[in-house]
Amino acid sequence: MRNMFADAPRASLTAAYWAFILYLLLPLTLMMAMSFKGANYIAFPIGEWTFDWYVQVMQDKQFLDACLYSIMIAAATTVAATTLGTWIAMLIVAEGIRGQVVIFAIACLPAVVPGMISAISLRIFISTIDMPTGTMAIILGHTVHAVPFVVVMALTRLRTMPGNLVDAARDLGADSVVAFFRVTLPYLWPALFGGMIFCVLLSIDDFVRTFFLGGYRPTLPMLIFAKVQGGMSPEINAMATLVLVVTAAVGLYAEYMTRRARTR
Amino acid sequence: MEPVVKFDNVTKSYGKHVAVENLNLSIERGKFVTLLGPSGCGKSTSLRMLGGFETPNAGRILLGGKDVTRLPPNKRNVNIVFQDYALFPHMSIAKNIAFGLELQGHDNQHIHRRVSELLELVQLQDFAKRLPSELSGGQRQRVALMRALAPDPEVLLLDEPLSALDAKLRQQMQIELKSIQEKTGKTFMFVTHDQEEALTMSDTIVVMNKGKIEQMGDPNTLYGKPGSVFVANFIGETNLLRSTVLGTEGDVAALNWNGITIKAEQGGLTPKAGDHLYVVLRPEAIHCSAAEPTSVNRIKGKIRQRVFKGNHTSLSIEVGDGAVLNTLVHPSDVAQISGEDIWVGWKAESTTVIPDRHAHN
Amino acid sequence: MVTSNTTAGYGAPRDAAVPRYSTRIAKIVNSSLYRHTLGAAVESRWGRLILLAGVPLVWLIALHIGPIYQMLKISLLSHYPVQPGVDSQFTLANYRLFFSESLYFSPLIKSFIFATVATASTLIVVYPVAYYVAKVVRPEGRSKALLLLLVPFWAGELIRTFSVIMLLANRGAVNVLLREIGLIDRPIPMLYTSFSLGFGLVYLICLYMLLPLYSAIEKIPTQYLDAAADLGAGPFTRFRKIILPLSKDGIVSGCCLVFLTCIGVFATPMMLGGPNTVLFPETISGFFHGASDKWPVGAAFALIMLVTALIAAGIFMRLVGGRKRSAI
Repeated sequence: MRNMFADAPRASLTAAYWAFILYLLLPLTLMMAMSFKGANYIAFPIGEWTFDWYVQVMQDKQFLDACLYSIMIAAATTVAATTLGTWIAMLIVAEGIRGQVVIFAIACLPAVVPGMISAISLRIFISTIDMPTGTMAIILGHTVHAVPFVVVMALTRLRTMPGNLVDAARDLGADSVVAFFRVTLPYLWPALFGGMIFCVLLSIDDFVRTFFLGGYRPTLPMLIFAKVQGGMSPEINAMATLVLVVTAAVGLYAEYMTRRARTR
Repeated sequence: MEPVVKFDNVTKSYGKHVAVENLNLSIERGKFVTLLGPSGCGKSTSLRMLGGFETPNAGRILLGGKDVTRLPPNKRNVNIVFQDYALFPHMSIAKNIAFGLELQGHDNQHIHRRVSELLELVQLQDFAKRLPSELSGGQRQRVALMRALAPDPEVLLLDEPLSALDAKLRQQMQIELKSIQEKTGKTFMFVTHDQEEALTMSDTIVVMNKGKIEQMGDPNTLYGKPGSVFVANFIGETNLLRSTVLGTEGDVAALNWNGITIKAEQGGLTPKAGDHLYVVLRPEAIHCSAAEPTSVNRIKGKIRQRVFKGNHTSLSIEVGDGAVLNTLVHPSDVAQISGEDIWVGWKAESTTVIPDRHAHN
Repeated sequence: MVTSNTTAGYGAPRDAAVPRYSTRIAKIVNSSLYRHTLGAAVESRWGRLILLAGVPLVWLIALHIGPIYQMLKISLLSHYPVQPGVDSQFTLANYRLFFSESLYFSPLIKSFIFATVATASTLIVVYPVAYYVAKVVRPEGRSKALLLLLVPFWAGELIRTFSVIMLLANRGAVNVLLREIGLIDRPIPMLYTSFSLGFGLVYLICLYMLLPLYSAIEKIPTQYLDAAADLGAGPFTRFRKIILPLSKDGIVSGCCLVFLTCIGVFATPMMLGGPNTVLFPETISGFFHGASDKWPVGAAFALIMLVTALIAAGIFMRLVGGRKRSAI
């Protein structure tokens, strides 16, 4: 077996991995711990442990509204980005289309441009089309951000599809539309599911685009940011922990589903 | 009777490469027709043109009398069994088979009945709810066939469907396919490069080469009376004896082959002295013996190579001035052929003659 | 009716339910509505083309190219938004402003420095981890090992930046720990410095570096390494001569991705940086929030940042990656 690695490198590499895991999880763990602090300021050691902050946060109207708002935007973004991303991917793989590389490059553009610039350009754009900042603008911005990822995921999956499947469907009487909905789309579904989860997470976590495109109503990251500007408090930790736990749960669920689909 | 399929002067080229050239082919209803040829001969292209996946550059394709040349695949009454089956992976095999039926607008009961019927035809009733990934290669093959048959097409197209199977399974499927064709009475158009397969299953074989039809006929004729060197070489093993005509005596010609005089039946040809011909001599038509035989053609030779092939042994025998004849002996006769010396003989009627097109006749 | 004496098929004696097939499809496809709209469209080549390409192309041109184009257009105007009575003309003054004072161009230089240092540090920190998961962990365990690394990723930029504060604050974990074990008397101010910003940046982006590296290293056939070891190469030689060159593609794409992300971070410098670490995004933002009529300047600066970042990434790709084009 791998005797080559049964020497110093292996041990130190393992150590490196676990040290890295520690490095990744430590700040988050500390943040979660601080949310239980029984005092009004941020400091270690924790001292008195309490759930009070959570109780307060769960009853905070502004927080709950921000949650709802974030989820609503995420849902709209997911629908829009998944549809557009899939459509673009279908265009790229279609036979007889030229310039596919260019189309792909343009599709990936928002992922290559640094976030800040993307946000600024969108801010300018909505102004030129007389769209006010606010919910629609945020959804638009999030969708633009998410589309490249959906495109890549859909493309990867599409390229593994045997070319004959659509031919077989057409041979049996299906026109292009029916073939898409009955054959291509079901085949794509695992990738689309992953893409949708990705869109949700991308949208909920987004800050910079929301900052420039949003109106008065805050999303979760905006709320947390505003509170931080206003002064540190374990209340913010409680909010952040809640968001962390929920998004981690969503991500893990998606991984679990992807894993199940892969073993079928 | 009106042919069910007619290729009328069909040409298809890809850029400079001409895949099919002026193809004129009629296929009778209810027959098992095989397009046979080496890769690149145009057989698959012709099939795909009939299926609607390629459009001819020139000519027409008629299906049941109707001109379908420009129709898309979903509007034609033909179905294809693909080489890699192309079963829909997310649907059970029952749903796969039902796919075409659903699009034809039948009601649930009818679809269910037809699907069950077809599943029974190939003994897969118990697998109705399984997914294609849970089936073996042979089973998937059968499902693909049933799926293509379900919508009751006028012609069933099969594009080398057996090439992915191992030898034993292939033979089994060949018999099954033929039996299903006979039971359903459908017209099958089969494409393959395997001449044995073609001989086993077909009512009619169309041998193609470089985009044109070399010869068309039933297996017996193609095997026994090939019309060209290509067909003779392609179908079955053969010895091609390139000879010059010395003279004719009634129906039999005397020829000079490498210094040896042989006699062969002329068939339909009327050769004159000096003409160049090929004499097609199948290995199994040659009789080997230790003693001199009494047949019209008898030559003494030396065994140069023996290859054991299970149900027969192949022999390469050198005769005359270095010419080689390939022949075979049954296991029961092998004992007689022990030494190097051997007599070979065959009858004049056992051969076919083909004109040598490259010679100046 | 088909009968069979097995229960797995459809012919079970107890009048098993007839399975439901998708009979509605035919009804929809044959309906007059479908036939006149979609059905008619897909019959013609042009119809199919428009159906396939129409929406995507409109979207791509309007929303992927459009904003950048508009940004370019505005950066060349003297006034925006256009007020009544004021004439907006074409000008390059906005660009000239950038080069005129240190106040304007030094944040960009700082951004570049931070991004470069962060990228390099991340590469060094993450490479061993990527190698570990790709080569040392057995194939079955790889997805679990990766999963553990991805979990913090889902939390999002803001929360992860926030959590760094818990670590580095004056009464955060590090300071308290150092105090407890008696190494220091007074807390070391780590927040709101270049250090905290750098740390936060690396923390944020290390996962963007991990995935490209992982997938590049995973592709290196282990047989190469076995063969090299067989021929007498020690671990460092193997690394230098085989692993490093063959993972070049992953290094290049990871570094480019990370670099471009770092250049564009907005929240992290605001939360973890201090008065000495004003980075370019904050400068640009200043022209948009609050002061109006400075949009053209902001746009020009943003464009300068975009172009320089892309050029830097491009040069890096050419230098290290060679002439091959790496897919993002």
